[in-house]
Amino acid sequence: MLNYLLKRLAQSVLTVFLTVSTVFVLVRLAPGDPAVAYAGPLATSEQLAAVRTQFGLDLPIWEQYLVFLRQLLQGDLGTSFSFQAPALQVVLERLPYTITLAVSAILLTTIVSVPLGVWMARRADTARELSANVVTIAGQSMPEFWTGTMLLTLFAVLVPILPASGFTTWGGLVLPTVTIAIMQIALISRMVRREIVVNLQAPYLTVARSRGVAEHGLTWRYAMAGASIPVLTALGTRFASMLNGVVVVEVVFAWPGVGSLVVRALETRDYPLIVATVLVTSVLSVLVQLLVDLCYPLLDPRVRLGKVAAS
Amino acid sequence: MSVVERPSAVTSKQLASAGATRRRRGSRVKIWIGAVCSLLVVLPILLVGVLPVPSATQQDLGSRRLPPLSDGHLLGTDQLGRDLLSLILHGGQVSLLVGVLAVAVSGVIGIVLGSAAGFFGGRIDALISRVLEAQLSLPLLMMLLLVVALFGPSLVVITFVIAIAQWPEVARLTRSLVIVEREKPYTAAARVLGLGRVQILVRHVIPNIFKQASLVVLLLLAQAVLLESALSYLGAGPQRPFSTWGRIISDGQDYITTSWWLVTFPGLVIVILVVGVNLFGDGLRDRAPRRKGSKK
Repeated sequence: MLNYLLKRLAQSVLTVFLTVSTVFVLVRLAPGDPAVAYAGPLATSEQLAAVRTQFGLDLPIWEQYLVFLRQLLQGDLGTSFSFQAPALQVVLERLPYTITLAVSAILLTTIVSVPLGVWMARRADTARELSANVVTIAGQSMPEFWTGTMLLTLFAVLVPILPASGFTTWGGLVLPTVTIAIMQIALISRMVRREIVVNLQAPYLTVARSRGVAEHGLTWRYAMAGASIPVLTALGTRFASMLNGVVVVEVVFAWPGVGSLVVRALETRDYPLIVATVLVTSVLSVLVQLLVDLCYPLLDPRVRLGKVAAS
Repeated sequence: MSVVERPSAVTSKQLASAGATRRRRGSRVKIWIGAVCSLLVVLPILLVGVLPVPSATQQDLGSRRLPPLSDGHLLGTDQLGRDLLSLILHGGQVSLLVGVLAVAVSGVIGIVLGSAAGFFGGRIDALISRVLEAQLSLPLLMMLLLVVALFGPSLVVITFVIAIAQWPEVARLTRSLVIVEREKPYTAAARVLGLGRVQILVRHVIPNIFKQASLVVLLLLAQAVLLESALSYLGAGPQRPFSTWGRIISDGQDYITTSWWLVTFPGLVIVILVVGVNLFGDGLRDRAPRRKGSKK
């Protein structure tokens, strides 16, 4: 168990390290000069040179990388060009907003999609299930920026009952959450349906039925238990990718989270900020995935961590 | 109605209500709705040259933001007085082109790498699977934005970026299919006949999995269209020759309180197309015989 944990942690560190290094190199290969973005269009070439020296942008990339690594070990990710503050601090200030949005979206998704998926599985291939099926396909086909704008127009402009943007009251959380959840519910409920259908046909269910377990218990206690690992994995992956920034939705609702921060950082070529955002969010999402994996033995006693599941 | 002799006591009514029949009927409904929705969008886009729509580039500041159904403009005009329908159709050509090309590229990469991983196993498999896993843990949209910012929003770059985002799906499916095929007797027979491993893979294994692997293509096309529209919305979409759907929506957003049609119609077109393609692909997949042990 401890061995497994250490191995997984080492893997996670490696993943994060590779991701951050890739991003570090990529942003520096990009055309567009951060010094120009920083000093403004009217700066003289001497001023630009001064800015470049100040941020170490005149060094070759590999030297910049070494400097970056040394600072990283000291917990210093450099100073954001556009915010004039430590990049890590800027990201951490925005992070709670993204986490709030991600948590509320994943909660809504779970609450709706699991019962919906079970319902569809129980009535698989009936006319009513077919229409529910078509509706979920529609749900996963709507671009989030469009759904968001439409909800915004409906509930903030035409019928102004909810705030349009930002996060000042709890009401502001409703529209972004719903926008994200529509697509996630569609995806997850279809996957729950698939898993439950497979489990409802499994031999162990026939055994349970012949022992006289009621249909309700068969679905929720037996089939659900069999489906729990893939479903939890899917939910975990979704949650992890939301922590990586729900970029589009944050932009639509002017949500002050990491996603809108990254769009701004890319526009202003704010190298330290881009790298810091990627570092923080990938650490978080890797941790979430690790936590999900650690839950497996709780759900399925056959799973021994670090060994291939005996199924 | 003629009486059909049945070898058993199963009545036709029972047959009609059997699970397999109902599933087949459901898949047929999906395929039909899907085909109709997709064609509803694709046909006008392909035929835009012949259709009597105004030019997409002709600006008329005198008729800015006309509502739908106004004279000569079925869906109204945009903030520069251009015909919205024409804009949507011309932008759609770009969106569709990007989608189709991206799927083709990701399909080729995915099938080549996936089948190599599945067939050769060992180190090749380990390497390709690692890359797959690593990519799945990357912040996808962020990376795509980064690459587009890096190489500029040209058609080629965006196509390539979407293809890179999508190849893991094809590769994983192909790999799992090839692993099953690899163990079948015909590969052993081919080996006995003296074929090399690459020859067996290319001439015998890939043709056998191609049909199943290609089913995923339609679903990927739907995703590609969505992804492209999201990139355009964030300002990282193709700029020329016409702005694509995501861009039209983000431009129209500033006028949402007064001109609802600027956002609503391009979005509806995306939804109809993507729903259509998704339903079509899903219906086809339901029809395909299920693989045993297809859980993974």
